[in-house]
Amino acid sequence: MTYEPPVTDYDHIVENCTCAFCGCNCDDLDFLVKDGHVVAVRHACRLGASKVMEDMDQRLLVPMVRNEEGVLEEVDWDTALDTAAKYIAESVRPVFYGWSETSTECMKEGVELGEYIGAVLDNQATICHGPSLQAMQNAGYPIQTLGEVKNRADVIAYSGSNAMNSHPRHLARYAAFPRGYFRQRGRFDRTVITMDPKFSDTAKCSDKWIGFEQNGDYGFYNAIRAVLKGKKLQSESVSGIPAEDIYELVEEMESAEFGVLFFGLGLTHTLGKQRNIDIAIKMVQDLNANSKWGLTPMRGHFNVNGFNIFMAYETGWAFGVDFCRGYGRYMLGETNTIDLLVRKEPDCFMVIAADPGAHFPNGANQHLADIPVIQIDIHWGPSTELADVVLPGSFISVECGGTSYRMDGVPIWMKKAIDKPETCRDDEWIVRELKERVMKLREEPNVADKYVPNEGLACLLDK
Amino acid sequence: MKTITFDQKKTSSIALEFDELITDNIYAWTEADFAEYKVPVGNSRFPITDYFDITVEGEAESPAEVKMILNGDCGRVKYIGCKMSAGEVVVNGNADLHVGAEMSGGVVTVFGDVEAHAGREMSGGKLEIMGNTKEYCGASYIGEWRGMTGGEIIVHGNAGKQCGECLTGGKIRVKGDCDILAGIHMTKGTIEIDGNVNRWPGGQMKNGNIIIHGKVGRLLEGFVEQGIVENPVADGIEYPGKYIEYKGDIALKGKGTLLIDAEKNRDRLSTWIEYDDEYNAVRTYQKQ
Repeated sequence: MTYEPPVTDYDHIVENCTCAFCGCNCDDLDFLVKDGHVVAVRHACRLGASKVMEDMDQRLLVPMVRNEEGVLEEVDWDTALDTAAKYIAESVRPVFYGWSETSTECMKEGVELGEYIGAVLDNQATICHGPSLQAMQNAGYPIQTLGEVKNRADVIAYSGSNAMNSHPRHLARYAAFPRGYFRQRGRFDRTVITMDPKFSDTAKCSDKWIGFEQNGDYGFYNAIRAVLKGKKLQSESVSGIPAEDIYELVEEMESAEFGVLFFGLGLTHTLGKQRNIDIAIKMVQDLNANSKWGLTPMRGHFNVNGFNIFMAYETGWAFGVDFCRGYGRYMLGETNTIDLLVRKEPDCFMVIAADPGAHFPNGANQHLADIPVIQIDIHWGPSTELADVVLPGSFISVECGGTSYRMDGVPIWMKKAIDKPETCRDDEWIVRELKERVMKLREEPNVADKYVPNEGLACLLDK
Repeated sequence: MKTITFDQKKTSSIALEFDELITDNIYAWTEADFAEYKVPVGNSRFPITDYFDITVEGEAESPAEVKMILNGDCGRVKYIGCKMSAGEVVVNGNADLHVGAEMSGGVVTVFGDVEAHAGREMSGGKLEIMGNTKEYCGASYIGEWRGMTGGEIIVHGNAGKQCGECLTGGKIRVKGDCDILAGIHMTKGTIEIDGNVNRWPGGQMKNGNIIIHGKVGRLLEGFVEQGIVENPVADGIEYPGKYIEYKGDIALKGKGTLLIDAEKNRDRLSTWIEYDDEYNAVRTYQKQ
């Protein structure tokens, strides 16, 4: 890593801004602004700083529509919005995917549009913490805020998460290092345990590393639960961990004054999926018989939790909500974006603040290449190559304000620091405009009737 | 007796939803009624006659007198037989999600493969799948701790993950192999698997019986070996042969019974009990 001298050439500082990278939502950042651009960021990690500082080379600045030759050409906003609205209005199985890197205010408009047209609304949870959300619906959610972790926790456990790489300030700001009200000596008052098959960077700065074998999560947690219930283990080792080490771990966890289990995709996406989280939640509930424990998923995108909280509040389902029958439905493997795309069901796809072109499996992207794709984003990416309509949005927390939910469910207002480019629009405005134009189109007589629940059957049963 | 035959005319990439077309609703319908009916497809409805030629023969005064026959690839037809209480459904081809889910009576037979969620939360009747099925066969829906509570599911092929999840009654018979966590969280009922099981059968089970005639990949620590049993009886049915009996899942103070074939899983027998060729314990060591 080369030395970078501090930036001194700036016009003014915007203090107490919020980071729009990961689920930590660090809200103590200072943006250094020069000529209307953020030139440096103080207090942020390298990941957050690199995202906040603009990359104008890749910035989407003007609306575009793919022409008959298959080339994206610049158009005015009316043409782009009308084209996108037409695709949505004429679709039978539309999917609106993304939402995790935009504001909760924009989601409100999105749900209204989705409910009106009968779309599936899904976010990045479908490829990350979806299993966690399913498990929480089954087993509950023993959560605490990150403030409680900072002030109270004396045992921090990371399972299937390499926070040092994915959430660099998590340990520094909330979990391991900060001095809290009851933890005045910071790191010296805490025990950090990493449970991960890999000896990750987080494991390197932990007091204990439990390197169980890959896909052994469920068996490992099952053994912990058995020991917590006072049973003796029958095998000499479970999931590659010697039985004595498990007894020692359980003793350490039971004697914690306040323990927290942070888990990442290493737990949610290994064999067992939501049942891994289910058993982890149950283990935390068992631990609470003798101690005080909580658990928090390490959410990735800065507002991925916001979409799940918002949708659960509005519809009862956290993600993958299907409005095609006029009411919200959810079913894993049925209303999730990847499954729908692999089954080749969607006939229109709107991606907002996400990049399925980079993250989805090939089979899903193949179908995206065959159907109209509308992209609302700030940067050029693989999804732009698949898009038929590109609508340039604005950067939440830098160019416009908005509400975001931190990984522990605490809502945070992200304030605006600089003006957006003149040709761009706020995400919320774009989705609202689309909604109004779709509603106008659907009122025209040449478009198929809006779905009315049970109409088809009711007209016959009345006979 | 009334026979309603659906002959497929064309397939749809977007799934057709057949939750309204169950014997309980359509037993009195005529061909004219079907011609008028529009089936849900995505956010719209389209005439069912666009997709199927429908012929109606005979009369019926109750759902029990109806036989629905679907000819063709119904791999994009969801909810076949879902919530039905009586009658018979035969699918001559593959079927999509939720076949026989929440059914309380009647018989559904699929002569092909079935997608996931087959027979979820069914409380009665019989679901027979001649091919394979995917995840959550006879399981509970998300947020519910009671899965299948009655009836019978027979899968002649393989079953996917979490077959019989939260099983609270009834019987599931899988004649092929089963993926991970068969019978997870089950509290009652029986799962019989003729083939092999990937790993962790019966995770977090509280009660009920799992009988595995094939080889088991990996068992959870919460299952305590009870020894060899001969011709065990579970739910009133005798299973001939010698089985290793486990009780669990003790991580949940469970009292479920897991019986696995002794011959195929001989490597699993505890090292502190010596067995002869007839699986009789000849010497027992105290576990260290």
